[in-house]
Amino acid sequence: MTGFVDPATATLPKPRGPLGFVQGLLDRINGLAALAGGIAMGAAGLVLTWEVVGRYFLKIASDWQDELSSFLLLGATFMSAGWVQRRRGHVGIDALAHVLPIWADNIRRLIADFLTFAFCSFFCWKCWTLLGEAITDEQTSDSAWGPPLWIPYGLMAVGMTILVIQLILQLLLRDGARARP
Amino acid sequence: MSPLDIGLLYGAATLIVLFSGMPIAFALGTVATVFMLGFMPTASLDTVAQNVFEEMSSITLLTIPLFILKGAAIGKSKAGADLYSALHAWLGRVPGGLGVAVVIACGLFAAMAGSSPATCSAIGSSGIPEMRRRGYSPGFAAGLVAAGGTLGILLPPSITLILYAVAAEQSLGKLFLAGIGPGLLLVGLFAIYAMIHHGQEATRARKVLAEGGPRSPILSEERFTWREKLQALPRVMPFILLLTGVMVALYGGIATPSETAGLGAVMAIALIAVIYGAWHWRDLTPIFGSTLGESTMLMMIIGMSLLYSYVMSYLHISQGAAEWIVAQHLSRWVLLAAILVLVVVLGFFLPPVSIILMTAPIILPPLRAAGFDLIWFGVVMSVVMEMGLIHPPVGLNIFVISKIAPDIPLKDVVFGTLPFVLLMMLAVVLMCLIPGIATALPDWIYRK
Repeated sequence: MTGFVDPATATLPKPRGPLGFVQGLLDRINGLAALAGGIAMGAAGLVLTWEVVGRYFLKIASDWQDELSSFLLLGATFMSAGWVQRRRGHVGIDALAHVLPIWADNIRRLIADFLTFAFCSFFCWKCWTLLGEAITDEQTSDSAWGPPLWIPYGLMAVGMTILVIQLILQLLLRDGARARP
Repeated sequence: MSPLDIGLLYGAATLIVLFSGMPIAFALGTVATVFMLGFMPTASLDTVAQNVFEEMSSITLLTIPLFILKGAAIGKSKAGADLYSALHAWLGRVPGGLGVAVVIACGLFAAMAGSSPATCSAIGSSGIPEMRRRGYSPGFAAGLVAAGGTLGILLPPSITLILYAVAAEQSLGKLFLAGIGPGLLLVGLFAIYAMIHHGQEATRARKVLAEGGPRSPILSEERFTWREKLQALPRVMPFILLLTGVMVALYGGIATPSETAGLGAVMAIALIAVIYGAWHWRDLTPIFGSTLGESTMLMMIIGMSLLYSYVMSYLHISQGAAEWIVAQHLSRWVLLAAILVLVVVLGFFLPPVSIILMTAPIILPPLRAAGFDLIWFGVVMSVVMEMGLIHPPVGLNIFVISKIAPDIPLKDVVFGTLPFVLLMMLAVVLMCLIPGIATALPDWIYRK
């Protein structure tokens, strides 16, 4: 398995040229998305803390906290998916990297990156379809609070789009390739 | 094609795609989608995103990012070093007390942080140099910390047990309680081994000294005054209170598991802000950064693993495989042994998260049919998966140790962990002979 990369301390390759410029822009977007994800995570913790305080000590009914924290955490997960991918933080099995010669290993990596891109693009498309249906049909969740579902679906769609753009850039920049010794 | 044939194809495709090096999450999603396309109604493809959303919005699963946040807050602070120093001062007079202090510090830290690598890193960075300074062999020091770190996936709040609760549809509260007895058993076994090993190393050192050789530091006694012992407590007590407070909130009926996760994360951040002054942007950025990285990676694997399991269930692969296993008419212990060997082999390649979600639909029905308690099995499975953290080829904790003590050769670290792998096997045997080690506490608490 590839090691668990700590994104907070990972060193990032800095590509040059037009693609490097696009990557620079995407890094800013990824940074903002990760910041939003961090804030959402902290907010979810506060919401759940308030749920305990409100229900147990102040006897206030809790009907929205679980769902709100669920939306916040889901949003944090999808919105930071591209930021994690930029750092190659989604773990995979790299057992063959130790066996294959460099040229064959680079082909393997290219295929893996392409398959990842293909699946994520398909999933991203389905997220946008889901979002479109939620907006058109004015879908809401089944709970008593009943928030509109375009909120979590929208976060999924935007997060997956950022991830797909990141994957395209990594494919074009070939930043997964092993350098010859 | 029969469900079993499709299942074999599904398994083969999964192996090929996983070994291509694709991220595990997207590899599982790809296999599931391709089989949806090939073997399920076309309309099912339209529900892929909705399936993942519905599975991931389980409030039990969403406790995971918050428990990771709690662990990162404590792990990135100096709490680990302070905890270890305090225990060292209090256990200094016990033979092999330094090793015992490391084991107990690992157990307590694992229970606070819930992460094996974080425990290894936090306790090992101060514990390993100190043990080596005091004459312990490098391999033993590294093995002890690596093994102590594994307690993170057994003691509550264990992410592994949270996932197992979801996959096996078992009570999370009962599973957390069931992990405590075996966790304490392992702490006890590791501590006894640390004392025995210290005795052996001290005997060898005395022999060398008697033959006119140099005096090993392992023979010198370190004494702490009461003042020093008491001074070590104030920085540690708040974290111990956090640990017990979270458990009281959970089992006292004050908070649900998800609320406990939120409360624990907020309290941990508040504590490190108050005790270590870690409230600046530069202090919080690494905490939230590593939390986002780990939780996004894990939640993506979980979401896609659940899609993968959904396809297995729709195509009757899991049911077919479970029926096939039952039809072999294996005795219950052979069945258990075969399943545990499968878990060990999968542990060579996959993280515990994926092992649980991918195998649960197949292995749990035969185990239930054979009369095994699934709460007990969840804990046994976790101990077996713990072994995967300290043996090659994955051995995540081994690599963490190599990072914090790079001058200890990898071979020494691996050999240092071997006795602990054997102790874990002993713990599994003991749990099979005396299931109450895991089940007594949840049975007692939930019967009250």
